[in-house]
Amino acid sequence: MEADATQPLVEGWVCVKIVVIFKWARDPQDAAVRSDGSVDWRDARMVPGDDDPAAIAVARDLVASVGGDTVGITIGDGDATWALARGIEQVITVPDAPRLLDDAATAELLAAAIRWVGDVDLVVIGDCEAYPGVPAALAGVLGWPAFLGASGAAVADGRLVATRRSEDHEDTIGLGLPAVLAVAATSAEKHPPGMKEILAARKRPIRVVSVAELGIDPLDRLQSRGTRVPETGTARIFTGSPASTARELVAALRADHLL
Amino acid sequence: MSADGWVLATDASKLYSMVAAARGLGGDVTVLAVGSRSLAEAAAVAGADRVCWIETADDVPADAFAATVGEILSAAKPRAVLAATTPQGRALLGAAAAALGAVVISGLVGMAIEDQFVVVDRTNLEGRVVETMATSAPVAALFAGMAQVVPPADARPAEIERLAAEWTSDIRIEKTEPVSGAGTGVSGAERVVAVGRGLKARADLAVVQGLADTLGAALGCSMPVADDFGWVPKESYVGRSGQHISPRLYVAIGISGAPQHLDGVRDAKTVIAVNVDPDAPIFRRADYGIVGDLYEVIPQLCAALTAVQA
Repeated sequence: MEADATQPLVEGWVCVKIVVIFKWARDPQDAAVRSDGSVDWRDARMVPGDDDPAAIAVARDLVASVGGDTVGITIGDGDATWALARGIEQVITVPDAPRLLDDAATAELLAAAIRWVGDVDLVVIGDCEAYPGVPAALAGVLGWPAFLGASGAAVADGRLVATRRSEDHEDTIGLGLPAVLAVAATSAEKHPPGMKEILAARKRPIRVVSVAELGIDPLDRLQSRGTRVPETGTARIFTGSPASTARELVAALRADHLL
Repeated sequence: MSADGWVLATDASKLYSMVAAARGLGGDVTVLAVGSRSLAEAAAVAGADRVCWIETADDVPADAFAATVGEILSAAKPRAVLAATTPQGRALLGAAAAALGAVVISGLVGMAIEDQFVVVDRTNLEGRVVETMATSAPVAALFAGMAQVVPPADARPAEIERLAAEWTSDIRIEKTEPVSGAGTGVSGAERVVAVGRGLKARADLAVVQGLADTLGAALGCSMPVADDFGWVPKESYVGRSGQHISPRLYVAIGISGAPQHLDGVRDAKTVIAVNVDPDAPIFRRADYGIVGDLYEVIPQLCAALTAVQA
């Protein structure tokens, strides 16, 4: 049963407006690296990160339990229906958002979109391995507490309670709102939407907003001076018959005192 | 020209390496340790000129001091600030970056100063390239260099200046529980053999277990083998959302090397990969590799190891 967005389901907890940020970066695997170390992105689009489905699931579950609204935000050429098909109620897209090297500048852009939505209680974002600085920078720009690397979140006693796993223990941490919650997926998406959800998503509202409407002028203060293939970390690769490669590897490990 | 750098520390890993990286600016290096007294003491012998210490309470995580750290950095105005890529380190860095009006860069492996520019080398695209970047702005960077296990021999302990900091956020640790499997199996093992989706059937685990037994290693796996297939207990899967391990020897069998997995073996000393795909990302992280079918390679590897052990 869908939650009534106007009625809190947990005593002491008010309805929340949750912004979910999705498809805000390109997949590094879409970039080709040439032998001279130069990079060709080959017109790669903004794609969902590995953690985006988990972020959406957390937002959706929170609203289902306490009531409220979910608003998706995507920038660049990300497909808005991807989030709508996963239960996000409406999406704001900023198609003319530039690609920025500086994570702080990306965070400024996202923060402007969040402010444009207004009255946001919680920002949920996938804690993307390839862009670890953006969620932290976003919290800094907003001036909100950040809870990063979350494996899950719920509501208990009127507070947001999130979990985070480290090497040998799991912390359950309570925090008030507003806040930025970066969710790290603990598994692959279990139930991707089917055709029915995808078709229904196309009828849900998408609001297109320009960078100018957000009232900012994104400025990249970082300059790339070029890329190169790393000099270290290259594997000693053995190829050939299974028997010969196994013998060569063991000999190399012994010579390097690793056995 | 020189400039000062700060290092934000919430744990002792990579402290020495981060201080060394901040030295690239040629100026003084200050460590701001947010945590226990033992963290501050570790920071004091990490080669910094100065150590400032904010003590955390048992129920208050380092993240709760983000705003306070921002205020401290705003007053100090260093040209660059570094932190480790942990959730707590990132939370502090985000607040520091906003306070300094800094650019934010991830993957930093080295930095220098040239005229008015801070020049940063960072690893990018999952380690496939090193990118050189420059900026005239303050820099807030997440460090991705290797951990330096042994403290510098000539490091003189720096004086620890305790800061009477108040936390302004209401972040509290409500509960801490041990992770199932921590301290057993792959966690803490000197040698780990892990298997991925290259394995075709659950029954074939015996092949990989044989290699683990020959090496005296614990058996681990990548996330799909535990999560999707259920062939190996979840406590044994290695990756960002699973076990983070630092074995002396890590052998990845039939594991492609997705970022989620590689995050769990970031601190492995030596990585060996066996994969049929020569372009598998695991080979970029590996120190040694065999391109081949695991079903053909592993028996030969066991035989070769047994021969040298005899």
